[in-house]
Amino acid sequence: MRYAAFIISTCIALAGAALAVEKQVVLKVSGLIEGAPVHFTMADLRAMPTTTLETSTVVTDGVHSFTGVLLRDLLDQLEATGDVITATALNDYVVDIPRADVEEFDVIVGYSMNGVELDRADKGPLWIVYPRDGHKALQDIRYDYRWVWQLSELEIR
Amino acid sequence: MRPLGRPGLALILPLIAIFVFAVLLAFALNRMVRVADDIRVDAEHNMLWVMHQSEIAARRLVETTLRVELGEADAAEIALRLDLLRSRFALLHEGPQLRFMEEIGMRKQLTTLSQTLQAIEPPPAPVSPATAKDLRAALEPFTRFFSRAANKTMIREWDDLGGRLETARAQLRQIIASLLGITVTGAVLILTLFFSLRLSRQRTNMLRRERDFSALLVSSSGDGILAIDAGGRCTIWNDAMATMTGQPAEKAVGRKLSDIAGFFGTSHVQTALEASLCGKDRSIALQPYYRDVGEPALYVDLRFSPMLDEGRVVGAIVFMHDASDRYAARQRAAQTRGHLEQLVAERTRELDEALLRERSAADLYRNFAGMISHQFRTPLAVADSALQRLIRRGDRASTAEIVDRARGARDAIAGLTRLVASTMDATRLQTGQVGARRIACDLRDLLEGVRARQQAMAPEARIKTDHPANLNAVALCDPAHAEQVLENLMSNAVKYAPKGSAITVHLHGNATELHCDVTNDGPKIAEADRAQLFDANFRGRNSVGTRGTGVGLFIARSLARMQGGDLQLRDTDTGTSFRFTLPRYEGEK
Repeated sequence: MRYAAFIISTCIALAGAALAVEKQVVLKVSGLIEGAPVHFTMADLRAMPTTTLETSTVVTDGVHSFTGVLLRDLLDQLEATGDVITATALNDYVVDIPRADVEEFDVIVGYSMNGVELDRADKGPLWIVYPRDGHKALQDIRYDYRWVWQLSELEIR
Repeated sequence: MRPLGRPGLALILPLIAIFVFAVLLAFALNRMVRVADDIRVDAEHNMLWVMHQSEIAARRLVETTLRVELGEADAAEIALRLDLLRSRFALLHEGPQLRFMEEIGMRKQLTTLSQTLQAIEPPPAPVSPATAKDLRAALEPFTRFFSRAANKTMIREWDDLGGRLETARAQLRQIIASLLGITVTGAVLILTLFFSLRLSRQRTNMLRRERDFSALLVSSSGDGILAIDAGGRCTIWNDAMATMTGQPAEKAVGRKLSDIAGFFGTSHVQTALEASLCGKDRSIALQPYYRDVGEPALYVDLRFSPMLDEGRVVGAIVFMHDASDRYAARQRAAQTRGHLEQLVAERTRELDEALLRERSAADLYRNFAGMISHQFRTPLAVADSALQRLIRRGDRASTAEIVDRARGARDAIAGLTRLVASTMDATRLQTGQVGARRIACDLRDLLEGVRARQQAMAPEARIKTDHPANLNAVALCDPAHAEQVLENLMSNAVKYAPKGSAITVHLHGNATELHCDVTNDGPKIAEADRAQLFDANFRGRNSVGTRGTGVGLFIARSLARMQGGDLQLRDTDTGTSFRFTLPRYEGEK
């Protein structure tokens, strides 16, 4: 009984935790947007139209399928007006992404790889992914450093 | 003239240069591509940054445990920092990073630490300082590991970079060497090109000079020169040709020869042209070339030769030489020869005549005895019998009888003398010893004298002369010869006509000649005799019973011709008529 009670309680706790994760803020967007700052939960992002792209990355072997939200759509939804997007990761990695990248390429804010949710202990929960295999121009280290994983914040400037 | 090796070398050198050029260029390109590949920098060469970030993640987690002890951080932050450290391990376990860890020989440690990290659970809140301290102790090998890994990565990457730079430098040096080679071979090629161009220009100049010289030769040639292509169209027509034919080069070049002048369409020329276009030489000589109607023809020699280009007939060349002078010389020579032949013939005839005369004289002498026996016997017999009678009569003969007999004998002897004289005349004529001394002489007076004498000798004959009233009867003749001819004709007319018949002498003339026709009513001369009538020693059938030597008409004709006149038997219906012709006197010349 004790075991059963433990299992049930654990399941409830896990489900609660999962639910809590869904409701946690995973992305903060600030700067030149409507109603800044805007906070997104995983649920908010999932509610948006999804895009899937297949590409290789410089830190992994093989081709992977990434699913997420088009960064362009996200910015449009927020009526962003800036030219530069400063992306910040959980580990304080900061990089400036030109707005032109977003307009020119289908850059996504991915939340799953090969159908598996990205984990914070890996490269999640959000990873900026460029369609590297589809464009020769993107196979360059000056684009490679814009692939921000563990994305936590975007500031539009 | 030119060394045999030169054209070969001139060809081989640029070929070698081109080959070397191409090889060096390909080599340099290959090296450049490699350098281009090598200078790519991949994200996997960014391992130092990965190690640095990993070390920071580990140190931040350690730092967080310290802050927990100080009460500045909570369990959520520890969980975040722990997740971040785990994400670094996840990253290091991805293919490219894992291979690098293998290379620097730290994979095993990585795996061990990874297992250690998996065993560490995020402590539930609230976190006690003791728990934080335990966690910090567990994390102690991580910072050291990443510090060591960063160290090795730096050395590894610098080694790698140094190697790549060295390779790149070597490749660049090879490229530089290749470029130098390319420059040298390029220079060789440019020089070759320059010399080829210069040689080509020299040859072009030489060809042009040769062509100009040929053109000068052709144009300054005294002989006409023309050339045709294989299609028979004129390509060259020099000045001499234009002068000879009267056709300028502008009108001739490009046209068919037979269209330029009819001369070239004649079968002789056409045949020769066709032969020369078949590769054979032909010559034809002294062809008349008529430039214009009325102008004298030009006589030309033609020489036809094929024009060959590497054994193939590409046309023909024709030389036309004006041989009119030679033609004229040949004509003159022919004339001279004709003249000479004529002269020889004349001389031969003269010689033949002389021979004939000699033979006639010989014949005459041979026949003389016979003639004497025949013609001389009668007068001799007459004289002999008269003298015999005188002897027989002796003293009985009266003076009158003696005179009578002596006169008879003398008459016979006189006849004999005449016979000898005329025979001698004929002999002289035949042997060319008689000449004529021609002067102006009125035939009327001459004729009248002869008529009177003949009338006296034959009183019974009725001889009458007549002539147009205003006749100019002055002839150019030898009066003695003319008189002899007329006497012969008149005496013959009397002799061979019936006694008492009429004999007419009719004098008349035309513009250049005077005619004296002597006609009687006697029998016609037999047809068979007419041809021989004027031969020496010929006596017609009607002369039987009459005295004569048979040389009278021969002498008469000979004398007439000697004076530039003639004596002919006229063709009449009745009687016999001879015409004596003499040239008119036309004044002193």
